[in-house]
Amino acid sequence: MLQCIFLISDSGEVMLEKQLTGHRVDRSICAWFWDQSISQGDSFKLLPVIASPTHYLFQIVRDGITLLACSQVEMPPLMAIEFLCRVADVLSEYLGGLNEDLVKDNFIIVYELLDEMIDNGFPLTTEPSILREMIAPPNLVSKMLSVVTGNASNVSDTLPSGAGSCVPWRPTDPKYSSNEVYVDLVEEMDAIVNRDGELVKCEIYGEVQMNSQLSGFPDLTLSFANPSILEDMRFHPCVRFRPWESHQVLSFVPPDGEFKLMSYRVKKLKNTPVYVKPQITSDAGTCRISVLVGIRSDPGKTIESITLSFQLPHCVSSADLSSNHGTVTILSNKTCTWTIGRIPKDKTPCLSGTLTLETGLERLHVFPTFKLGFKIMGIALSGLRIEKLDLQTIPPRLYKGFRAQTRAGEFDVRL
Amino acid sequence: MAPPAASQRYPSPSQPSGKSEVSDLKTQLRQLAGSRAPGVDDSKRDLYKKVISYMTIGIDVSSVFGEMVMCSATSDIVLKKMCYLYVGNYAKGNPDLSLLTINFLQRDCKDEDPMIRGLALRSLCSLRVPNLVEYLVGPLGSGLKDNNSYVRTIAVTGVLKLYHISASTCIDADFPATLKSLMLHDSDAQVVANCLSALQEIWSLEASHSEEACREKESLLSKPVIYYFLNRIKEFNEWAQCLILELAVKYVPSDSNDIFDIMNLLEDRLQHANGAVVLATVKVFLQLTLSMTDVHQQVYERIKSPLLTLVSSGSPEQSYAILSHLHLLVVRAPFIFAADYKHFYCQYNEPSYVKKLKLEMLTAVANESNTYEIVTELCEYAANVDIAIARESIRAVGKIALQQYDVNAIVDRLLQFLEMEKDYVTAETLVLVKDLLRKYPQWSHDCISVVGGISSKNIQEPKAKAALIWMLGEYAQDMSDAPYVLENLIENWEEEHSAEVRLHLLTAAMKCFFKRAPETQKALGIALAAGIADFHQDVHDRALFYYRVLQYDVHVAERVVSPPKQAVSVFADTQSSEIKDRIFDEFNSLSVIYQKPSYMFTDKEHRGPFEFSDELGNISISPEASSDIVPAQQFEANDKDLLLGIDEKDDNKGLSNNNGSAYTAPSLESSSNISSQMQELAISGPATSATTPQSSFGFDDLFGLGLSTAPAPTPSSPLLKLNPRAALDPGAFQQKWRQLPISLTQECSVNPQGIAALTVPQSLIRHMQSHSIHCIASGGQSPNFKFFFFAQKESEPSNYLAECIINTSSARAQIKVKADEQSTSQAFTTVFETALSKFGLP
Repeated sequence: MLQCIFLISDSGEVMLEKQLTGHRVDRSICAWFWDQSISQGDSFKLLPVIASPTHYLFQIVRDGITLLACSQVEMPPLMAIEFLCRVADVLSEYLGGLNEDLVKDNFIIVYELLDEMIDNGFPLTTEPSILREMIAPPNLVSKMLSVVTGNASNVSDTLPSGAGSCVPWRPTDPKYSSNEVYVDLVEEMDAIVNRDGELVKCEIYGEVQMNSQLSGFPDLTLSFANPSILEDMRFHPCVRFRPWESHQVLSFVPPDGEFKLMSYRVKKLKNTPVYVKPQITSDAGTCRISVLVGIRSDPGKTIESITLSFQLPHCVSSADLSSNHGTVTILSNKTCTWTIGRIPKDKTPCLSGTLTLETGLERLHVFPTFKLGFKIMGIALSGLRIEKLDLQTIPPRLYKGFRAQTRAGEFDVRL
Repeated sequence: MAPPAASQRYPSPSQPSGKSEVSDLKTQLRQLAGSRAPGVDDSKRDLYKKVISYMTIGIDVSSVFGEMVMCSATSDIVLKKMCYLYVGNYAKGNPDLSLLTINFLQRDCKDEDPMIRGLALRSLCSLRVPNLVEYLVGPLGSGLKDNNSYVRTIAVTGVLKLYHISASTCIDADFPATLKSLMLHDSDAQVVANCLSALQEIWSLEASHSEEACREKESLLSKPVIYYFLNRIKEFNEWAQCLILELAVKYVPSDSNDIFDIMNLLEDRLQHANGAVVLATVKVFLQLTLSMTDVHQQVYERIKSPLLTLVSSGSPEQSYAILSHLHLLVVRAPFIFAADYKHFYCQYNEPSYVKKLKLEMLTAVANESNTYEIVTELCEYAANVDIAIARESIRAVGKIALQQYDVNAIVDRLLQFLEMEKDYVTAETLVLVKDLLRKYPQWSHDCISVVGGISSKNIQEPKAKAALIWMLGEYAQDMSDAPYVLENLIENWEEEHSAEVRLHLLTAAMKCFFKRAPETQKALGIALAAGIADFHQDVHDRALFYYRVLQYDVHVAERVVSPPKQAVSVFADTQSSEIKDRIFDEFNSLSVIYQKPSYMFTDKEHRGPFEFSDELGNISISPEASSDIVPAQQFEANDKDLLLGIDEKDDNKGLSNNNGSAYTAPSLESSSNISSQMQELAISGPATSATTPQSSFGFDDLFGLGLSTAPAPTPSSPLLKLNPRAALDPGAFQQKWRQLPISLTQECSVNPQGIAALTVPQSLIRHMQSHSIHCIASGGQSPNFKFFFFAQKESEPSNYLAECIINTSSARAQIKVKADEQSTSQAFTTVFETALSKFGLP
């Protein structure tokens, strides 16, 4: 049972306080918390669950905003953290991002949302589509509407019918003039490549994201051409379990608007689309570094937005790096980013240069880890293919759209 | 309310100073209050927004309460919401003005829009002003019967809120029975879930004094009810599912079919997108199958993959919470996770708290087949930029080596670490090599040749230095320059700050002496002399002991200091298996995160003041609001709990000393509030002070005027002087309390000011301390508070122990006194009563 939720800005200012039970939690707890996080150097490094002298604190950090929840009784910690994550998601969806100004400009909406999301310390409704029914987001359309109609209320006048609907995630009867449904396969490749160039771990984390704008009560069936490659699936509550168990078909009544239908993992991949070959030699206080990046196996689509970033070791006093393609930037915190973009046809991009070590050091003993970023539109690298999407009753003017993309998730290349 | 300390530190330009703006707002609101002009809602909305934004940044805007309420007559729902928000925040502080809001809230509860009905009802119940509870019953009753489920949902939670404000009103209105029938018959899942949550809380709090509630509470765990919920679980939202799963954990299945039925019903919950649901389901599975060993194993297999997926798909915070639980399971059944070790590889960007847990799990799952890969991976981290993780990973390598898998290769790796010439890597590795040699003396040859090459000058950390010195002493015969290295170290005795290192130096010099006497004799002499002159007690004692033992007989000394050693087979485990089981029982709770069973960290000392300041401040007689999910957290001031309370007190001292001055601010603030209240009381109530003139005079007498004129109840007892700095440790207190008979039991009344002053945490404790009576433990919940005190005679170490139970509703205190000297217990009781009667008087 949570007692209070605070929103704290990145400078430690309490932006918002929502008391949830009769036991007021004094704001001074935030000062204590902030002192703790300063003493850790970085609030990101502070444990998500800590015990203050009077309360258990749960915290998550999103875009510099800390969401802090307090409790004095034992409760499942993951529940508190999941809930805070949900709050952060809903807020950033409503406000179009999450930062100090947005929260301060829209604090009334934040209060309204929290009011519906949690009552008496117990989470209530966190389903975005239901919340949208109750509290209209402050978007451009509703702002325009309010100017035109003179009704500036951001509260929709419909009942919160989702609570009464027999499908808790779907409002009772949405109506669209054109019926559209989009399915996106969004995949992230997580990999670790060790210093010998071996692939230590390579797997895909994927999500099936949908945007459904269908009238009435549609019943959908989505099937894959090769469902057997999927592992560790997690489903949106709308997915029926039995059809998946028996013939690996996703059968569901979708929520309205955007949502995540399922997430999955595909393990033990053998290949990455891009290779990174770093080399480093050090002698007499200077290091020579050279990194090659190229296409290992062509996925058939253009690989875009290739970046390579790494942290220079602390013992490096200065660095002189240049590349034959793209740009290299070194920030004051010794983060070095090489933006490559697309790989040119005629040459292999190469970053090279020298690092000067602090005086007294002969050789480099701490090696950087390179983080690779890339994006490929139009393909799911796991090989997952959607076979078809069926609707039980076909509404008029139906449009179905399918897309896929893959990007690098946690892609570490070690040296 | 004080503005937050943080925002003072970072003043934002837009932040107003307070007063003048608030009074401006007040005038503006007043102007709008009566106006019916078109567009007035818009200007009201701007003003309301301003008020709320002041409230949000922590400026006290309670002074515009009246005006806000006056402006609240509106049909605009946003205005209404802002008004509810404001009223909810300040009603508690303005009970009289809150009466004004009742009217419009009650009207809104009958609005035709269910949303407004619901919101108004929620606000009405959130006022939490005890003398307004009578106005709640009607709207709640109709809210529970409302035909819109949104309103019913809110009404159910409202009943729980009412219960916490005034339990008796709630019970008298027979709300629990209504909730029960709603729970079993309502068509809306959220209403049912809220009923369950409310009833669980109400019945378990009632259960302590009502048999009926006790029965009802148990009926929630009956088979039909459990299945009623489990069969419908998919209709509930994710949070309500967690609630139901929590309930299912407590259910005792009748037979194995029952167990399998439940597991089949819940199977698909393991694939839910919400981690909290998955973890709650995992707990049900684990608890259900505890008695069936092979099924329990299968459960591990079944839950493994959902948990591993959760770890890698969520935010770092979620991963951490899940990893903590996974850690528990991995340690319990490492072989099940052995093939999945790659899941615990650290990614560069992960926060260090996640990496640390992953390292521990890599250590736990290592076995014959995967040790090579795991150790290779760990070695990568040793060159990590994050030094803390680098250290941690070296330790992990060592731990794996001690588990006896593939020791050969690991020793090679460790020795490679020593060649990295990084001071912290060398330091950690030395400590490990020492532990390894204690377990595998057969490796000494390889290790010593490398260790011998390390210059002691490069090692600064005491632990590492001590390890090196230990090896020098232990393997002096294999290291040609051992005596000379030791000699060098001993010559720099004065510069060695760590006592641990100096102790090791002494022992190493002795061991070296037994093996290579001629080379070491001089160094040993210097070491012993320096040791005997050392200011550190342990070093001094050990040096003296060695010296005398050597004087007595060198062979005896050798047998004492350097006996033939047996290799250590098992290093002592840090956590007992009993504790691990206890944590396992508390799966899906904070215990897992802290890796301690809840009784070790739940903090009663701090719950005390919380109840004081909040509950008593309301004059409400309701018991503590928290649920009984963890009974250990309720302070029942019986003797068994007292033991715990005392044990924890010491632990918490460190914690409470750490917190900054900012943290103590609220209590000071509230005490000043109370004292101003008390001044009012004192001024307005000559009658009350007249009721206790006797005892307050008695106090003056004891300390000033002498006993002869004292109208104390027992003038015959001799004057007792107490030691103001008496000390008694909690253990001794417990022992005495058990051993001594009760020498006196007395009842007396506490003056009303005293009862009022009890709201301030620690106030009674401080007050009694000023009378040389010290508190050793306290607790309880309104209306009964319990304190344990002790005192000592000034002249001799004779103790008095007292238990004092104060009932705030009857304003009476019951005192039990135990004393070392029975004869003087009457005198002590007099002093105690006098002091108590003085409590709360200015």
